[in-house]
Order: sequence, then C-alpha cells, then structure tokens
Amino acid sequence: MHEGARTEPMLLAENAELRAQLEGAEETLRAIRNVEVDALIVESATGPRVYTLHGVDSASNRFRGEILAQVSDAVIAIDGHQRVTYANAAAERQYGLSPSWALGHLLSNVYETRWLRPGDESAAETALRERGEWRGENVHLRQDGRELHVESSMTVLRETVDQRAGVLAVIRDISDRKRAEDKVRVSEIRYRRLFEAAQDGVLLLDPDTCKITDANPFMTKLLSYPHEELVGKELYEIGLMKDEGASLEMFRKLKSEHHVRYEDLPLKSQGGRHQEVEVVANLYDENGRAVIQCNIRDITERKRVEEHNKLLMAEINHRSMNLLAVVQAVAHQTARTGDPATFVARLFDRIDGLAASQDLLIKNQWEGVDLADLVEAQLAHFEDLIGARVMLDGPPVRLTPAAAQGIGMALHELATNAGKYGALSNDDGRVHISWQFGTANEPVFLMSWLEEGGPTVALPMRKGFGQMVIGRMVEAAVDGTAEVDYRESGFSWRLSSPLAGTLQKGRLASSPGNDARG
Amino acid sequence: MPVDKQQRARILIVEDEPIIALTLQDLLVEAGFEVAGVTGKLHKALVLIEGAGCDAAIVDANLGGVSTSPAALALAARGVPFIVLSGYSSEQLQGDFPSARFLRKPCRPDKLIHTLKAMVLKQISSPLDRPLLRTDLATPEAAKRLGQESR
Repeated sequence: MHEGARTEPMLLAENAELRAQLEGAEETLRAIRNVEVDALIVESATGPRVYTLHGVDSASNRFRGEILAQVSDAVIAIDGHQRVTYANAAAERQYGLSPSWALGHLLSNVYETRWLRPGDESAAETALRERGEWRGENVHLRQDGRELHVESSMTVLRETVDQRAGVLAVIRDISDRKRAEDKVRVSEIRYRRLFEAAQDGVLLLDPDTCKITDANPFMTKLLSYPHEELVGKELYEIGLMKDEGASLEMFRKLKSEHHVRYEDLPLKSQGGRHQEVEVVANLYDENGRAVIQCNIRDITERKRVEEHNKLLMAEINHRSMNLLAVVQAVAHQTARTGDPATFVARLFDRIDGLAASQDLLIKNQWEGVDLADLVEAQLAHFEDLIGARVMLDGPPVRLTPAAAQGIGMALHELATNAGKYGALSNDDGRVHISWQFGTANEPVFLMSWLEEGGPTVALPMRKGFGQMVIGRMVEAAVDGTAEVDYRESGFSWRLSSPLAGTLQKGRLASSPGNDARG
Repeated sequence: MPVDKQQRARILIVEDEPIIALTLQDLLVEAGFEVAGVTGKLHKALVLIEGAGCDAAIVDANLGGVSTSPAALALAARGVPFIVLSGYSSEQLQGDFPSARFLRKPCRPDKLIHTLKAMVLKQISSPLDRPLLRTDLATPEAAKRLGQESR
C-alpha cells in the first residue's frame, strides 16, 4: 500500500493496534521469564491467541521456558504472520537488539535469511510442513549488516494438532567455528597441494615401526613404486638406506637430534636405475604423536651437470694452456727475424690470426670449421676484395680443428705476403683460392692459392717464419704435402692431404676430445 | 754444463703441434743438444725409441686424442728419462703417466732446458746404472720405479 494513500485516522488505528500487540507480546515475555508459561498468548488482529508447544504438558513446558531464558543459543518464536512473539536474551544479544524490541516486529526486521544452496529454502519449508521441524545451516544478515553463519533448529508451534500457529527457532551462531573450519580446510588444501605437486619426494614415517605411512606422487615417480607398495615399507626396503643397520642408525639419530641430513645418498630404484638423492628428515610432534617427515631430492641431474662442468673446465684450461704454448712458439719464431718494432707488429698480426681461428673453433663447439668461413676470417684485412679480386671456389667442407688451425695460420701468412709483395699489393692483382676432392693412392683433399696480375715475383731473400708455416707446419698439421712456386707470373701454393685427417667426419662421429691436442 | 757432454745428449721430440715442435727443436739446438727425431705420431715415436734411441725425450701427453703413455712406457723400459709436456695438469695425467716428470704448457724455455740438462747429467754421471737397469726393466713395475728415480 502506498504511504500517501493512508489517512490520519488509519495511521492512528494502526498505531493503536501495534501498541496493543506490543503490550500483548511484553506480557508474553514476562510470563515466559516468570516461568508462568503453559501456553503462548499472542494478541492478533483477530484477538488474543493461545499457542502451546505441540505434544508437551504444562510442567515440562514450564521447565522449557526456564531453559529458554538461560540458554546461550538464541531462541525466537514467531506467529503465523511472521511476527516475533518471543526472543530470549541470547537472541537479543546475537542480533544486536535492545531488550524486548523484537516483540511484535516482523522476523525480517530482526534478520534477513540467506540460504547457502539453491533449494535449501523450499526444503526447509517442506520439512516444516510435513514433519513439523527443520534443522540446518544458513546465513543471517543482521540489521547492522553483520553476517552470522548459523545452525537453526525450527519447530512448528500449533494451536491444535492440525493448526499451525507459529514457529519456534533455536539459533546457534557458528560463525567462529565456520571461520576456523574454513581456515583448516584452506590450510589442508594448500598443504595437500604442496605435498601432491612437490617436485621433491616426501615420505611420512612412523618413528616406532620405522615404516612409511604416506608418500607423495613424486616419491612414487622417483622410486617407480606404486603408492600402495610404498606404504608399510621400511627405508632400506625401497633402496634408500643401504641396509637395516643404516636405517636404524638414521632413526636413532632422528630421535636424539630431531633432524638428519644426507647430502648425497645413492638410491637404487626398481629396475636398477641409479640415482643420487639428498635426504632431509625431521621428527615432528603431531598432536602428541611423533611423526617423521622425510624430504628426498633427486640430485642426479645436478651431479651430472657438476661433473660435466668440471670436465669442461678442465678441458678449457687444457686448451687455453695449449693456445698459450702456441702463442709462445709463434712469438719465438717471429722474433727470429726483423727489428723489435717489426717484431711487435708481426706478432700482433699473427696473434690476430690465431684469435680468428680460435673464435671459429669455439663457435663451432670444437667440431670443425667450415673452410669458406676460415678463409674469410683469415682474410679479414681484404674483406672488401672477396668476390672481386679474391675468388673463392670449392664445395662446402668442414676441416678438423687441427687442420683448421694449421690451414688457418697458412692462410694468414699467404694473405700477409700477398698484401706486402704479391697480387694484393697493387690495384688489380687477383687471388684464386680453390679446393676440391681428388684421388691419389687414397681420397685426398686439394687446396690451392694462385696469384696473378701482381708485381713480378722474386724468390724471398731468406726462409722466414712465413715460409715455414705455409710449408712444414701446415704439412705436419694435415699430414700432407705443400708445394710453393715463385714463378714470375704469379706466386702459387698447393696443398694435398689425406681426406681422413683433414676433413671432419660426421658430427656424431667426433667428440671434442678426439681432436684435442695434448 | 760443459758443451761436450750436452752435445752427446740426443733428445727425441714427440709433439703434434708443428709450431711447438719446431720451437722445441730450435730451443734444444740453441742449448747445445742434438735432436734425435721429431714426430707427432705415436707409432713413429715408438719406432724411433726402439730404433735409433735417444738419451732423453720431451713427450706431449696427447697426440690428437691418442695418449702417448705407450711411448712413456717404452722410454721408461729403456731407462731413458723423459719430460711429459702438456696443457693438462699433472693431476689429470698421473693415471696415464705414473711417476713421470711433468712440465705444464706453456713452459718457459729456460725451465725446460734446465730440467732436461739435469736429467741428462744424472744419466751421464751414473753410467753404471744403465746396463743394470736395462737388463732389469722388463716389467711395468720396474719401469715405474725407474720413472720415480728419474724425477
């Protein structure tokens, strides 16, 4: 009904009626508090009504009235029009009401009900209708907005056996309990998830029997035992401790120190797979009962990587030492000719060449070097001339590290000479660098450096380091023969060597160690 | 050391890095030694040791992935002192070359020459040892003992 539609006399009449109802309710409350209750008498629009609790005599009713006032659970009675006819002190506290305020008010003014699941409300109504009672949980929203999680027990009040006159509700605030339960459940889920998803093995053990009581899925994976076979076993039976003695020793230590740690234990899993594990075990008190928790970490991969790194470092060290020895030898050989200034310039130039070859070797993980890459690296000074005055011609080939080092040094000396005295010392000379396969007594690799259009060639004055490198040194590196021709029309250099020692076999067939020089 | 004694000492070089082999050769000649042979192949080294022989040797531990321990054994069996010259540390090599004298690459030339001279001098100044050891050195254990003596 719209407010504006009400007339003053109507409002006055309504007020009078409400006041009458309140008086009636107060009377009821007083009666209940004085334990005078045989029945609940409620003023209503149709006059006073008397309610009795179904099926109880007046003596026990009186007793119940006394109880109701004392109990800590909220007790609220309503009539058939959803008006509160009784609320005990606990109810007033629970819903934040001033004394006796609720009487005569609609229940919905005391709290709003929020059902936990769809269908709960109709189920409650059905239960009240058919069985006269309902028990269940829901949420009550107080007038100040606070939410209470409650557990209610409702009983239908009847005037006569057939006539429903109201409902008596006993309502317990279980918010605290719910919150605690939720906390426990969240915590349980969280830790269960940790246990289930951990990438470490976790075992729970009974310190008295020394047997496994639980194992997480990772443990199952680690040991290749199904969960049910792990439970009930002792540590030495699953290959974690070498024998019963070692197992007992661990338990003895755990009981005295509450903690043990093994950095590196061999673990024999089913099928004989060998693994290395780190074990940390702790003895805990779980509600007065001792429990051992054992964390097992698979460190096989870590150990393998550590071992590999150690080998790698040793190999790098060895190769650095060798390279330094080569630098030392190159310095020694370079020092045999020229004045100190020339020595420094030539040494630096040769170290550059060594560095370029080394760089290629490392980029290729010491598994050989592409010859075209090597030529380009050693002719870096003449980069602009490659393809114009320096022609490269040959199939893709991969040199062994030893051949790459030797041929690299030879190319470096050839290029230096060409730039100083040969075809690259003027404006139009050309160099043809080519390689191919051939056959002599065995498959051979043939490589040549042919110059044309340079200044007239003269025999070198003396045999220096460069001559040694493009001759004896490269011959030794590839176990082949090198021919040098200083004919007037152009210098030429030809190398012939067995394929086997010069070219890298398939990647899989070689390992870095095979080409290491000691 | 008197030059005449050094001149008598013939040194074998087993090294597969040509530029290092060449440099060793130069150093030995400059120091007054005679080079008994230079090779970067194990089988050639064994032929040289068993054939012309030498008074001492410088042996690279690894020739393109091949261990030179057979050459070391052959030298020890003949009572010939030798230096294992390698980029590997002595700890890494001890397994393959028990009781050998190790020098690490890169090695200072004066240290190498000094070590070699000391070896050769000991060898020459105690000539009585040589026939005695030679008849005695058929077993690896004996070779091992000799290796220790030559340290």
